[in-house]
Amino acid sequence: MHETRILLAHGNGGRHMRELISTLFARHLGNPLLDTNADAVCLPGLNGTTVVTTDGFTVQPLEFPGGNLGSLAVHGVVNDLAVCGAEARFLTLSAIIEEGLEIHVLDRLIASFAAAAKEAGAVVAAGDTKVVRHGEGGGLYLSVAAIGEMKAERPLGLAYIKSGDVVLVSGPVGDHGISVMLAREQFGLSGDLRSDSASVLPLAKAAWQHPGLKFMRDPTRGGLATVSHEVAQACGLTVVLEQARVPVRDTVQSVCEMLGYDPYYLACEGRIVAVISPDAADSLLALWRTLPGGEEAARIGRLEDGAGKVILETPLGGQRVLEELEDDPLPRIC
Amino acid sequence: MPASRIILSGQVQGVGFRPFVFRLAHQHGVTGWVKNVTGKVEIHAEAEQDVLDAFCHALITDAPAIARPVLQSNSPVAAEQLSGFHILPSTTGTPDIHVPPDYFVCADCQTELLNPRDRRYRYPFINCTQCGPRYTLMTALPYDRDNTSMRAFSLCPVCQAEYENPLDRRFHAEPVACPQCGPSLSFTHTAASPRTHLPPPNVEQPLDAAIAVLRQGGVVAVKGIGGYHLLCDAHNDAAVTHLRQRKQRPDKPLAVMFPDLDSLRDSAELSDLEEATLTSPARPIVLLTRKRTCTLSTMLAPGLNEIGCFLPYSPLHVMLLADFAGPLVATSGNLSGEPVLIDNMEAEARLAPVADVFLHHNRPIVRPADDSVVRRIAGRMRPLRLGRGIAPLEVTLPRALPEPVLALGSHMKNTLCLAWDDRAVISPHIGELSAARSQETLMRLAEDLQQLYQVRATRLLTDAHPGYGYQHWARSTGLLITPVWHHAAHASALVGEHPDITDWIIFTWDGVGLGQDHSLWGGETFVGGPGRWQHQAGLRPFHLPGGERAGREPWRSAAALLWECGLSAPFAPALVHAAWQKKLNCPETTAMGRLFDAAAALTGLCQIASFEGQGPMYLESAATNWLGSQTPPPCMPEPLNIHKTNINQAKVDWASLLPMLMDTSLPVGERAWRMHATLASTVCILASTLRDETGIQHVGLTGGVFQNRLLSELIHTQLHALDFKVHLPQQVPMNDAGVSYGQVIQYLYTSHA
Repeated sequence: MHETRILLAHGNGGRHMRELISTLFARHLGNPLLDTNADAVCLPGLNGTTVVTTDGFTVQPLEFPGGNLGSLAVHGVVNDLAVCGAEARFLTLSAIIEEGLEIHVLDRLIASFAAAAKEAGAVVAAGDTKVVRHGEGGGLYLSVAAIGEMKAERPLGLAYIKSGDVVLVSGPVGDHGISVMLAREQFGLSGDLRSDSASVLPLAKAAWQHPGLKFMRDPTRGGLATVSHEVAQACGLTVVLEQARVPVRDTVQSVCEMLGYDPYYLACEGRIVAVISPDAADSLLALWRTLPGGEEAARIGRLEDGAGKVILETPLGGQRVLEELEDDPLPRIC
Repeated sequence: MPASRIILSGQVQGVGFRPFVFRLAHQHGVTGWVKNVTGKVEIHAEAEQDVLDAFCHALITDAPAIARPVLQSNSPVAAEQLSGFHILPSTTGTPDIHVPPDYFVCADCQTELLNPRDRRYRYPFINCTQCGPRYTLMTALPYDRDNTSMRAFSLCPVCQAEYENPLDRRFHAEPVACPQCGPSLSFTHTAASPRTHLPPPNVEQPLDAAIAVLRQGGVVAVKGIGGYHLLCDAHNDAAVTHLRQRKQRPDKPLAVMFPDLDSLRDSAELSDLEEATLTSPARPIVLLTRKRTCTLSTMLAPGLNEIGCFLPYSPLHVMLLADFAGPLVATSGNLSGEPVLIDNMEAEARLAPVADVFLHHNRPIVRPADDSVVRRIAGRMRPLRLGRGIAPLEVTLPRALPEPVLALGSHMKNTLCLAWDDRAVISPHIGELSAARSQETLMRLAEDLQQLYQVRATRLLTDAHPGYGYQHWARSTGLLITPVWHHAAHASALVGEHPDITDWIIFTWDGVGLGQDHSLWGGETFVGGPGRWQHQAGLRPFHLPGGERAGREPWRSAAALLWECGLSAPFAPALVHAAWQKKLNCPETTAMGRLFDAAAALTGLCQIASFEGQGPMYLESAATNWLGSQTPPPCMPEPLNIHKTNINQAKVDWASLLPMLMDTSLPVGERAWRMHATLASTVCILASTLRDETGIQHVGLTGGVFQNRLLSELIHTQLHALDFKVHLPQQVPMNDAGVSYGQVIQYLYTSHA
């Protein structure tokens, strides 16, 4: 390929497209299953229950401290399976590329995608590319499906949650949301803050085997508060989070204070929120803390009887209601 | 012999009205009977016509001080040739119900309380038909003992006899009690580390133990009428500092309870009006100017020239203050923004970090009522908070509603307003709805009020702001919901007090409320009336960096104004400026409260607020102090520039205030005064222009900003000189506590029966 940027011609089915697929996508993603000439492939049979998920990914900027769209997309689907008790084995990738995207950027993103897939033990079984006109896409959109095997021995789900259960988080919240926001707005303030984008599979695996585990979710869009709302509403219980125990990095806290954001609503891309019976909580916490990515895991709250609310308990014992996220939260109190 | 059937409504239950009628009938030689019919009193009277007339007249004129009877009908009926006059048992039925508030201990009971020979000597729960708790201990109507939290206490024979004797002051005094049969005090600690040398828990003399702790500089949580107070010695800096640290309330003013008027006079300036208010049955907290010679702790209200003062209102408080023989800080026993605590166990659990000891009693408080707060503004006492002694506040509407409604009010300073027919009832102060306990109290009280008044709302009235703490609950009720714009509610609340005036120019200045253009309004001027408000003027808009945080951090508003004018704000972090340039979480506002915040920050008075309104309050205080030192008084400054927009709205441009506010060659107090005076001049120009266009004479000032006495009085005086008729709210708070009532008025005029 001689071009430095994506042309509309890279999507027209002709030579440019063939070159793009073979020299870029296939180079990074190639494996015995992936046949770029076939319309469909047959997958080898999986053991036990097959689990599938699909997700679309978009982020601005495409590359940010601690990750990029490519790795983010893999972590997204791998983590979705992991918190359900499954391990991803096959991925499909649909890339919608905007005319004008620099090819070396695309190359980095797909390389990242491939590396993240390899780390998670999954291969790309099918793929597709499209090119949209300049101005009609955010550089690159990735749509990914993951197919995996159920590995957890006991079923997980909201239905198992009871009043008195404990809420754990595998690490500090808000790193991804703030890192991406700072990078997007080009505030020239990076410091040491990085997105937490990562595969949570090792942490999830440790939890699957753990007695007393009820439910897990990765707090992506809407963050910890939104996952808490899902739990509270589905179970008809109140989630009480203890402010002093929720891990938030100092940088995240101070940026949030300056800009008026609430870290509990910010996206994480490499964290697990788990609900577990109280007698089993400490041992899972201890186990997580021995694993990479789980060093700062914490016990952050509990389930109480109540009407589907999420409450933040302040160190002084005050109880603030964390409302469900509005489209455009407007100040109420000034 | 002629006979009359007389029906009286209004405040006639729980106030000793039937015994009064009984005695009056005996005096006049009238025969017949009296009975309670749900919410009303019905009388059958037989006598010669002139006697009947005099009797009927005296029913109103000689009624007990706390009763407010309204003669509903007086019709001739056939005589029943009865002998004597009888009090008949209550009948229930018609839902014309009045719920009395809680009354202060009356003079007769106080005399008994202090009489060593009286069987209720030093009994902290003494009461009679003329005094004592009502609203906070009723569980249902009619107001009978079984429908109160006194149900669990069986009357001893002596109390029973008083209760049954129509000629006794305690005839059907529902909470009647004595040391033998009634509630009692208890003194406890919590496990949470006693910090001083404390008397042992559960001592024989709980009151003495509490006094001893107060004398040591300790903090005592005391269960009162409508909830707990935290008390400490108001002269003791260390005690007040401790209380502030433990409650994490570094600056917010603390109210002080004085043993009597004389001791209060040592500390605060007192006008006749204020004195009458302090000693009125409601016994509210009155904001009073601190005397220079005042020896109370300077930590009570740092940065302010006023103190919230009140007098003892329950027998327990009377004894506490008399025994301590000095003023005590008496602040609500709650955590910031939450309703006052009412339950013994919960108070111990939640106030443990703050209080050294607890003085409890075992008379359950059914629902909370915080102390009421009033301030003299423009010659009248204006309520800032409705609570114990005033609420539930019953108001007559200008006309009847088509259906019963429950208005949910605002997010801050939340109150509820239940309204049906031509009646509206405003709840006591609930709190800030970000607190979970406030939301719970709101839901409970919503149910509770409807049950007490036996009315079911078929429609909810809400603020148009989608994020207010009750919105989720409101949707879950399945009732019809009518949203009302925040400032329309403010304006309509004022109109509700003057239904005879149809056309208004109203300034609604407050912190923030959602406006019809979805920006955050708060410096608005409207013309018209409820349901037909026209938005005529506002502030030049600016963008608040950090959104909701700006409400707690005045420096943000200051930065916003400077940046809006292309100036630099060296005190603001670069990141905040960058976010402001990109309008990231920087909503647009026209709120006057934020303009005052900015002025407080630019004059150096307040950069970060630890309580709502701190910046503006400091600014007012500094300005008032400076003005007091000026003779002759300074001339009024020029008004601000006013631009007309293409939709013929006036935009008040605050830009010229900035150089003045930052001019360090002027004293801070002078700059603060100029801020107030410039805005007053600006109001005059706006009002005059609007009068020229519309012919409207009546100007209203409402919204939390006008709790600022200096501002309101400057405007009031000047508008008066220009022959305007000027009105400020008198019955219902002008701050967000009045929004629920305003929602009802706005709905009343937009709905069609």
